[in-house]
Formats: sequence, structure tokens, C-alpha cells
Amino acid sequence: MNQEELNNRLAEIKDKLIAIEQTVDNRIYLSCEAESSYTVNRFLFEEVPLRFVIATGVDSDDCFEILYHYAYDQIGCVVTLKAFIRDRENPAIESIAPFLPAAEWIEREIHDVLGIEFKNHPDMRRLILSDDWPEGVYPLRKDVAKPVTRPDGEPSKHPTVQSQSPARRTVALAKPVLPVGPFHPLQEEMEFFQLTLDGEIVTDIDMRISYNHRGIEKISESLQFDQVPFLVSRICGICSASHPLAYVQAVEELAGVKPPERALYVRTIIAELERIHSHILWVGLAGHFIGYDTVFMWAWKYREPVLDLLEEITGNRNNYGNVKVGGCREDIPDELKPKMLKELDEIEKKMEMLTKAVIDDPILHARLKGVGVLSKEDAIKYAVTGPTARGSGVAIDVRADDPYAAYSDLDWNVIARPEGDVFAKAVVRLLETLESVKIIREAVKKLPDGPVAVEVKEIPPGEAVGHGEAPRGETFHYVRSDGGNRPVRHKVRAPSYVNVPSFRASCIGQHIADVTITLAAVDPCYSCTERLAVVDGHGNVVHDYEALLKLSREKTERIRKEIQ
Amino acid sequence: MSWKIWSLKKSPWVFHVNTGACNNCDIEIVDLLTPKFDVERLGIKLVGSPRHADALLVTGGVTAQAAPRLREVYRQTSKPCVVFCIGACACDKGIFTTGYHMVGPVDKIIREIDPHAIIAYVPGCPPKPEAMISGIVTALSVL
Repeated sequence: MNQEELNNRLAEIKDKLIAIEQTVDNRIYLSCEAESSYTVNRFLFEEVPLRFVIATGVDSDDCFEILYHYAYDQIGCVVTLKAFIRDRENPAIESIAPFLPAAEWIEREIHDVLGIEFKNHPDMRRLILSDDWPEGVYPLRKDVAKPVTRPDGEPSKHPTVQSQSPARRTVALAKPVLPVGPFHPLQEEMEFFQLTLDGEIVTDIDMRISYNHRGIEKISESLQFDQVPFLVSRICGICSASHPLAYVQAVEELAGVKPPERALYVRTIIAELERIHSHILWVGLAGHFIGYDTVFMWAWKYREPVLDLLEEITGNRNNYGNVKVGGCREDIPDELKPKMLKELDEIEKKMEMLTKAVIDDPILHARLKGVGVLSKEDAIKYAVTGPTARGSGVAIDVRADDPYAAYSDLDWNVIARPEGDVFAKAVVRLLETLESVKIIREAVKKLPDGPVAVEVKEIPPGEAVGHGEAPRGETFHYVRSDGGNRPVRHKVRAPSYVNVPSFRASCIGQHIADVTITLAAVDPCYSCTERLAVVDGHGNVVHDYEALLKLSREKTERIRKEIQ
Repeated sequence: MSWKIWSLKKSPWVFHVNTGACNNCDIEIVDLLTPKFDVERLGIKLVGSPRHADALLVTGGVTAQAAPRLREVYRQTSKPCVVFCIGACACDKGIFTTGYHMVGPVDKIIREIDPHAIIAYVPGCPPKPEAMISGIVTALSVL
């Protein structure tokens, strides 16, 4: 289906809409009243069908807006549906979570930060704010001062994970629960899991996030457009090239600026180096979880040269701060090229060895195949992205679907596997590392001459979206400007925000010994899995992280003996 | 020097607490354990429980939800315990100072329950692994 056919499809629901606008190629904005949002959303998700990305709640002067962002990956088009809620006193809108589980979290989040009621939402507990946050204070509303300090008030009685929803409470009391967490290091992605067990089989999973909620979207409204990249690069230390890249693409779209060719190549090189170091990091940790500590140490050793290269280019091992609106801050010096090519050859050799070791190992086949399967249907329903989606046969990759930076000029392949298990995700990541090496090598060789930045003076009023493929999946930024120096709304969606809820599909029915690796397979980050504890029905710790790790490793050992 | 301090300085075992960091300091801490830096050869070991720890490596500027957990972790450590604030956020909330969900920094939260806590600071965003090693060595040498 091309752009024209998509427009025709969208025109089928014209009578429910107020307007259809197209700002630039591949960016379509629909608007409707809150009353018809359910029907339109259902049409977009089920009939067209589009992939749900995220929703943004905006406090406009006279109303609230809920923006539902969808992506049409065949042509890389982003379709945004704006629903206007005119009643400011009791804002409410129909929930779309009953048919779209991927929207469950974001509706809870909008309820927390903007105080909008979602009718018929299956589970309206607090998600993003802390347990003691006062009831009735909504930090993202404009009447709350900028920057907001922590308000005083009675602690909330709003239920969180500790008090389960009624349906789950009975189960939780009758059976042991396994809390996993709480500390986890990504922005809106750190979490606390509560697994309900029947014997050693996981029967339910519940999550609580908020531990790492730093209020970045609100801080961003108090920074100037040029300062925001430094903030968003600190959303996640491992995606510190991808977030600023997605943000500056949004602002560049808004300002109508095209960065110089050389800047696009520099961005590509840094983004791919980041992907290599992130994937190697994952391979190491995954090895650690199943008892292959040698893999852990080797992988992290091979990661060091990548960090050294990044340090030479940007001045820092992480948090590169190299992307700015209109280009890059630092250039790659030409004399560094031979060294980069040499290092790349080394990295490629090491990664080929590691890939071969994983793919040919009969014990890993037995240990990881058929474990933590996320079916293609579930992958679409939960709108997962990145290697999690590609490991389940959904071959989406923003780099190929909606090319940015220099990806369309370079020769590379999207890696996808149909199986959906942990092994498939591992293979996707390992093969992607080799593709990344290929991309960087070609980009270094073809690096065009010229400046790395153009001057950007005014950011006109308007709105834009930018997205990019981070190591874990699609990062998505929505920026709205009123013509001033600062964004009036800046929404961020990191990939794990949609990948993590898919645990509900992949973990249920699994053995506890497989949980560590299943949770790790979407690469949520290691910290959560470092603090695992199994609690019996009375709250006594019966297994801690060490014990779980031991269970996982014993299973590997058992399989090893059976095979030999 | 009391025997407690003397024994603390031999092979310090550390427990890692993330209180709302961006993951950067955290991956650098794990990096310390892997072959390039390998702090285990100096007797520094990452442990799985605060009860085994001589020192806490705290990252992040402490979010509202993480603050009670940080206090609890500190209570569980055996004293004396050195608290290392790793990174700009842990030292003074860094770029997130104006965030509505931030209640830190780390020293404020720790001092609330123990005014005499031993606190060391390793600034940087993120501090390089060498800086962390140097921070630990410096702190132990002044004890």
C-alpha cells in the first residue's frame, strides 16, 4: 500500500474526523472529538492496520488533547490522531486498551500526569508517580509551575502493585508470588515485577514502574531547544545517541532544516557504534544469566575497543552529546579513519567467532530454543519494536522503513527470525552487530567532505515527530513549539516502554528457571534482574537473585549432561 | 585506627544501588568487573546483598519512589559503611535538579537517617572507570 492508498483508507472515516492534514511527507495528522476517538482508533489499528506507537497527553489552553501516534511501516508513515477533550473540569475519554494492550500503560501514565479519566480501562492503578505522590496534583498540567518542585499534600491512597486488582488478589494470596525488582535504570522503564507461581510455573505477571521516573518531559519544557539533546541523551546511558537523534530529527522537521551530508554520516557512525556496544553488552549478560560467565567476560572485553573509538570521536565513552539541531558538534577527523577501519576488522573477527560459538552450540540450542516465545500475533498486539519484534518475525526497522541519517545510501540488511524465542532474539542481535560493522565500514569509506552543521535560527510554531532505531527498538519523540525558545510539549517513548509489557505474553507458562533469561531477552537492562527475590505467600524470601541464577544455571548444566 | 576501619579497608565488598540513574554509571560499574579494569584483582567485589557490603555504590539522583528503598538498603548494611555517590546525579542531582519527582541528592537522604555516615563523591557524567577506582582508593586512604 503506498501513500495514496493509505490516504484513501483514511478517507473512509472522514465523517468521524474534523480534519486531515499532511505537514510533510510521511507525517499525517487527523483530528477528532473525544467521543469518536474509540471508533477511529479501532479503525486505525484493526482495519488499516497501523502499528500503535504511543499516545501523548497535552494540556492546551482551552482543552486537553490526546494524541495517538501510529506508524505505517511499509512506507514509514507516522499517523497521529488528535482527540480533543473539551471538558476541562472532568476530562474523560474512552479507553482503547480493551482491544489494544499496548496502550494500557500509556493511558495509566496520562491519568497520573494529566488527570484524564479513561473509561472502561481494565486496570487503572497508579503507574508512573511514586506511592506517596499526593492525589490530585498533575505535574504535566500547565497550571503547575515550571520547574515543578515536589508538592506538599497528603500521600496518595491510590493503589499500586502491593494492593492487587480484585481479580488478581485472590490468585496472589493462594499462590506464591515472585517479586522482581524494583530498581531498573531506564527512564520510564524501570520496573518491579510480581510473578504469580503455580509450583515452578509462572501463571501471572504484574509490573510497577516509577522508580526511575525523573520527570524528563517536564524538565524539557524548561530548557531551550538546543539544550534538550543533553537532557534526552541522559534518558538512557546506552541509547545516548539514539534519543538525541530522534529529538533533533523532530526539531529539524519543524524548522525545515536539512543537515549537511557529512553530519548524516557522522550520526550514522555513532549510532551504529552504539548499537554494537549495546548488543555485545547484552550477549555478555545473557551468557551470565545462563551460566556462561566466559561469554560474559569475553563479550565485555570485546566491547572495550568500541567504547575507545567512541571516546576518540566524541570525547566520552557514553553520553556522546555530539548531535545538535542542524548537524553535529564534532567532526570525525580524517586521520582517525585508518584506525577505525582496523579496529572494525578486529571487532568483526571477534563477533564472527562469538556468533559462531552461539549458533553452533548444541547446549544453547537445547537451553534457549522454545523458551519465552512471543508469537507474531502477540508481537503485533503489544506493538513491540526492535530485536524483540524482529525475533518474532515482524521485520520492522525504522532505519529501513523511514530512513534517516545516511542509512538509505548504505548497503545493509534487516535481520529477522520467525521463531520468537530467546534463541531467535540472540541470533538477531548477533547478526545485527555484523551488519552494523558493515554499515560503519562503508560510512567511513564514503564519508563526504564539507561542514558538519548548519545554523538554525528560528523554530517556528508547529508540531513534529522524529523516530529512530535504537539498539532496543524504535525511539519516538514528539515535539510541539509555540514559536518560542522552548518546546511546549515534548513526549518521549523509549523502546522498552512497549517491549516490557510483552512479558505478559512471553513469561506466562514458563518455568522459573527460564524467567531470568526470558526477561533479559528483550534487553530491558540488567539492573532489574540483579535484584530478584522469590517470596512465598507470607512475604518470606525463599529464593533470592543468587538462588534464581543458580536454578537457571543448574538447568543449563543438566541439559549439558543430557546432551553429552 | 579502630579494627573495624582496618578490616573495612581490606577487600571492600560493594553493593550497587540505582536510585534513578540513566544506566550510564551503572554500565561503567559493571565494566569495572570485566577484563579491562577487573577490580576483583584489588579485592573489590560486587555482592548481591547489602548485608554483605562494606560500601554502597549509589547512582542516580534519588526519585521519590526510590528514596525509601535507598534508606532501607542503607539500614541493612553493616556499619561502618562507606557510601559512594557515583556520578553527577548522585552527587547533586545533576541535570535532573528541577525534576518534580526528584527528592535527592543521595547525601541528603542518607544523612536523614545517619548524620555521621561516611560519604564519598565521584563526579562525572558518567565518571570514567579509572575515576571510580581512584575515588574508592582515595576514600579508603583517608579513613
